[in-house]
Amino acid sequence: MEMIESILLVDDESLFHLVFEDACSLLDISLSLECIDSSDNAARMFKGLYETGQQKPECVFVDLNIVGSSFDGIELVRKINYEYGNHVVVGIISSSNDREEQIKAQAAGAQFWLVKSDDIEPRLEEFRKDFSKYKDRTAPFKVYR
Amino acid sequence: MNLVTVNKQTRDLLISLYKERRVSLEGNIIKVLKAEVGDTEFEEYLKVTLQKDQETRKKRLDITKQIQTQNQELVQKQEEISRINQELNQSLEQTKAAMVQAEQAREAALNDLDLLQKRSQTELIGTIVKVALWVVVGVGIITTGLYATALIANVETTLIGNTWSNMFGILLTNSFSIIGTIMGVKYATEKKE
Repeated sequence: MEMIESILLVDDESLFHLVFEDACSLLDISLSLECIDSSDNAARMFKGLYETGQQKPECVFVDLNIVGSSFDGIELVRKINYEYGNHVVVGIISSSNDREEQIKAQAAGAQFWLVKSDDIEPRLEEFRKDFSKYKDRTAPFKVYR
Repeated sequence: MNLVTVNKQTRDLLISLYKERRVSLEGNIIKVLKAEVGDTEFEEYLKVTLQKDQETRKKRLDITKQIQTQNQELVQKQEEISRINQELNQSLEQTKAAMVQAEQAREAALNDLDLLQKRSQTELIGTIVKVALWVVVGVGIITTGLYATALIANVETTLIGNTWSNMFGILLTNSFSIIGTIMGVKYATEKKE
């Protein structure tokens, strides 16, 4: 199965960065993984990439509530989709499984919602299987729980 | 993905480092290296190194997950403590308010008791004074009756006349005093009610 070229994780919880990085490595999901701990920094990064025309990460996982940021994950997803030129697979990764938030995320352009838990590997594995469909925009919004 | 091959010098150095000092490559770099066709030794080296790296990652992942779970539990406990503290503070405030109310009720009860005692005392005084008034009136009537009888019977009235005069003077003085006391008691009772 093809690896994801590059992944960006936006999450304030640095311990989860390690979990995500190790899980992605063990599952051979991607060799290139970057973690950012605030939505402001992520927005700045995307703005810069959009303005300079540089390559964006192929897939972005955004935490729903990013502590210490001026806006939440759904707003970042909206910015990535509508302000910074899109062309990335973007979704929410959160310990919440709130249906209302999922509808908001979908409206903001999120393609998936991955529920965080101790057992994240099977969800990432399933996500990886669907990734090509997300890439060509043929997969419907899906919640990995 | 394009894999990278290393030159012989690097390959030999990597293998000897592993064999002699158990030092090996770590991380995703292992996944982008490949051995030359037929180089089974380097192929084996990459396989063992990757396995070792994955074991390390697996171990780290498990530990990180444990720490994450403990952190979440700590956060939950902290939230619980904070909630209990808030409840305790609310209870403390309620207790303080109840204490103030109880203190006010106690003061009101003491005032009522004081009033009741004073009223009872006043009523008792009133009764005594009324009885005294009736005694005074009774003594006056009896003395006057005796004096009148003596006058009608035409007997010696000097003694009874002086007695009546003194008695009446004393009775009048006392009755004014008694009436004054009754009025005072009545006024005090009406005011407190």
